[in-house]
Amino acid sequence: MTLRIRPPRLGRLRLGRDARLGLALALPVALIMGGLVFLPLLSTLFDSLFRVEPMKPGSPFVGVRNYTNLLKDSTVNAAWITTAIYVALAVFIETVGGLAAALLLNRIKIGRRWLLAIVVLPWCLPPVVNAIIWMWIYNPSYGLLNGLLLSAGIIDTPQVWFNNRETGLLLVSVVHAWRMMPLTVIILLAALQSIPAELYEAARLDGATGWQRLRKITLPLIAPGLAIALSQSTVFAVNLFDEAWILNGASLDTRSVIIQVYVLAFQNMKFSSGMALSVLTMVISLAVSMIYVLRVYRETRFE
Amino acid sequence: MSRRFKHLPGQVGLCLGVALLVLWSVGPVYWSFVTSITPPNALVSDNLHFWPQTTTWEHYAKLFGATSTSQGNEVASVWPQFSRAFANSLITSLAATALVVIIAAFGAWAFVRLEFPGRNVLFVLVVATLAIPAYTVMIPLYRLMISMGLIDTYTGVTLIYVSAFLPLALWLMRSVYQAMPLSLEEAAWLDGASKLRAFVQIVLPLAGPGLVACGILTFLSAWGQFMVPLVFSPTLATKPLTVLIPEFVTRNYVDYGLMNAAGIIAILPPMLLVLFLNRYLVSGLMAGAGK
Amino acid sequence: MKRRHFLLSASVLGLAVLAPSLTRAAESLAVLLPPWVTLPKEMTDTYTGGGLDIQTLGWDEIRTKIVTSMLANTAPASVTEMDWSWVGQFGSAGWYDPLDALLTDELKADLPTTSIFTYDGKLIGVPYNNDFRVLIYNAAHLTAAGVAVPKTPAELLAAARAVKAAKIADYPIALPLSASEGAATAWYLLTKAFGGDLFDADFKPLFIDPASAGYQAMAFEIAALNEGLIDPASTSLKDVEVQELFKAGKATFDVAGWAGNLAVYTDPAKSQVAADVAAALMPNVNGKSRTFGLPGALGIPMNAENKEQAAGFIQWMLEPATMEANYRLLGNLPTRLSVLKTVNEAGNLKQGDVLIAQAEVVEPLFAQGTPGWYPEFSGAVATALNAAAKGQLTVDEAVAQIAAAAATAQE
Repeated sequence: MTLRIRPPRLGRLRLGRDARLGLALALPVALIMGGLVFLPLLSTLFDSLFRVEPMKPGSPFVGVRNYTNLLKDSTVNAAWITTAIYVALAVFIETVGGLAAALLLNRIKIGRRWLLAIVVLPWCLPPVVNAIIWMWIYNPSYGLLNGLLLSAGIIDTPQVWFNNRETGLLLVSVVHAWRMMPLTVIILLAALQSIPAELYEAARLDGATGWQRLRKITLPLIAPGLAIALSQSTVFAVNLFDEAWILNGASLDTRSVIIQVYVLAFQNMKFSSGMALSVLTMVISLAVSMIYVLRVYRETRFE
Repeated sequence: MSRRFKHLPGQVGLCLGVALLVLWSVGPVYWSFVTSITPPNALVSDNLHFWPQTTTWEHYAKLFGATSTSQGNEVASVWPQFSRAFANSLITSLAATALVVIIAAFGAWAFVRLEFPGRNVLFVLVVATLAIPAYTVMIPLYRLMISMGLIDTYTGVTLIYVSAFLPLALWLMRSVYQAMPLSLEEAAWLDGASKLRAFVQIVLPLAGPGLVACGILTFLSAWGQFMVPLVFSPTLATKPLTVLIPEFVTRNYVDYGLMNAAGIIAILPPMLLVLFLNRYLVSGLMAGAGK
Repeated sequence: MKRRHFLLSASVLGLAVLAPSLTRAAESLAVLLPPWVTLPKEMTDTYTGGGLDIQTLGWDEIRTKIVTSMLANTAPASVTEMDWSWVGQFGSAGWYDPLDALLTDELKADLPTTSIFTYDGKLIGVPYNNDFRVLIYNAAHLTAAGVAVPKTPAELLAAARAVKAAKIADYPIALPLSASEGAATAWYLLTKAFGGDLFDADFKPLFIDPASAGYQAMAFEIAALNEGLIDPASTSLKDVEVQELFKAGKATFDVAGWAGNLAVYTDPAKSQVAADVAAALMPNVNGKSRTFGLPGALGIPMNAENKEQAAGFIQWMLEPATMEANYRLLGNLPTRLSVLKTVNEAGNLKQGDVLIAQAEVVEPLFAQGTPGWYPEFSGAVATALNAAAKGQLTVDEAVAQIAAAAATAQE
């Protein structure tokens, strides 16, 4: 088997050399993504129009009823709100922290290699281990967080962090952001490094302040990277599962949409409802990402 | 050089920033390490120690030793399982990284520099798959993998990883190539080189930092995977560390020490890889910035 | 150059197509078990039915694996773990073969927990790994406080107050109240302790009336929490974490104690109170102890391969010698009463007399068999109980919410 395509006989459609080369190079992408993602996705979309519940006989066609039922489910709606809060908190922490870290790394000349390795460290931890470490830190009886705050005199008695919904949401977001921030840092650092140094030199000669240089040069030039980073963090935050699940189980206070998908499909065995909810999740995270990408691209037509 | 010293407050701020960054990144990992060398009984003591009063390597001994205990009973060593899972994690993550980097290096360039039918549609569709939650495709994918006999094979898991991490790599590489001036390649074309040859000889070396970044992203993402191998790697033939470690939670007993020890070991390969690749990442980035 | 790269990607794709045909393993019986049943060589050597391919997965993961495989119409393994709580779902889905023919009448009588795995009159799992709830307490605390071992919930409360008053433990009662399965099962157990059941024969809730056992059980938990007898941290602690409090000597009673946990509690390497741990029959308002069983079983998926071999494996797991080894090497309690007694007579069962007395009165949580909607119901219980413990709901509101969830789940 070889991918070296002899000049194809495509009838009337004659492809140039470039087009043939392009198709040949894009073929592996199309094959892998088509076979392993689009095909299964179509199958799931199809399944979500039937009632697939192993505990009930048969699987009749129900149209969009799986979807309309979800809209009426108060537990599902609560999960949407929880996920929206996770997205807002996590994306904020990751972007602000990630940009600050990337700018910092960009200015460090000595030992950057080591610092970068340290920054990437949280991401090296498998999420499973990550959540266990934090569970231990947040432990109400023996946890590090209580210990630190007690000895600093900020609190008087040990706190049960997950008793309060707001605190719980924040703590889950922090764990998620702690792990995902390195992704933002690497993407933004790669973008920062592609800005020619001369631009800054020229701006400095014009008397621009640091803040001005950031607004007028850095941000517009790293905008494509920022769009990638933002949509990445959004997608990951929408798909938040492990952290909330391991730290606080199925508690409604911290139940994200994907936990709800798991509960519906695997715990309650209402498979088609679960799949319908996961399709909705996909549509929403796609829509949110599109907003970033379009906005960022529109604002940065700087030529 | 002398101008540097005028910005002393800036330098202090820089150091403060670095300290904060290090604390944020290393703090929890350090705590995990401390937990992994604290004797089980001391873990549930009232006083917090930033360094344990008595240290023990018993949790690591359980991982590497000839015998191990489970629920208070001596059982066979977990080392054969642990080492096997470790190797499985390495093999699938490295294979996925290599494939993703190769396919993205060429594919993204084609998306930027070559006109071919369906180019934009394909690119948008591929990038859009980033938004698909794993659960959405899991069951159809399972059926597909069974029909191809790819369950519990390195090939199967690797291919799924590639399909999951290729979109981000493509997107990243596309923006890398877009940022490069076309004039570099055009000069080579004028010398009579084919487009592909010009790309391989001139553009590819310059894209080094981007490729290394893609490699790091892919390797780390693959290394941390849990749901995919849980379903597609049922046995030790291909089961990775991430699926093995939660098995240390026995029904009656959460062995925090052992899990943290396993976690610390699990950090090592990606750490080494990042350190090793960092050399190229940083030098590549520096070269790019200098020009 | 050009060719080499093309060949590379081509060969990679080629490999992807060829590889699977090379990696089919030799025929051996695939068995899917939780990590605590990782059978050591010493045990598998006594199995003569051929090759064994033992696959272990973490507890939550086993279920995910089984559901995924069965939805894709393939067997996850030839023999799999079956939890008591899955019986209704897997039974109504028709995913597991009936195994009644596997057991002789004599064996059935020796296995008091088979009723838990009976769905629609068919036995779909054979219990091999015993677990039930007993009262585990710290004898040193009780002696120091000068109180006797409680036999009723009221005595339990009084004993806890005495321990707290004597400043021996700040929070004498260890009970999980987080939104987790362990918190829900503790409430079910207390419902039995208050002399009642969750549902009647038609699955109508019995816990809404303030005079009912279920209502009183929840009120008991909330009152004990508000009175400071239960650690306020319990609202975010799962059962295993609450057990850590007991092991550290911070609690006097592990109310919903796991029978299998006594081996851990009495191990000085894992517990700071190893010398003081004792067990007693579960307290009950009527004086006669009641408890329920949460055993693990083995089942054969309907689309499994090598079914005969699979049946042989299950029978091997039930043999007295295997069960004894399973307890001795892995700490899994025998399900056969006769084996439990043999182990106790040999002096190898911690608090064995209490365990055997309790084992004889073990009943299923649902007399009719675990219904298919159990996980959904139990999830709602955990959430409502957790909310009540945090003061977000009153007990009235919580039981009403649970009843509503039960109705939805039963639809």
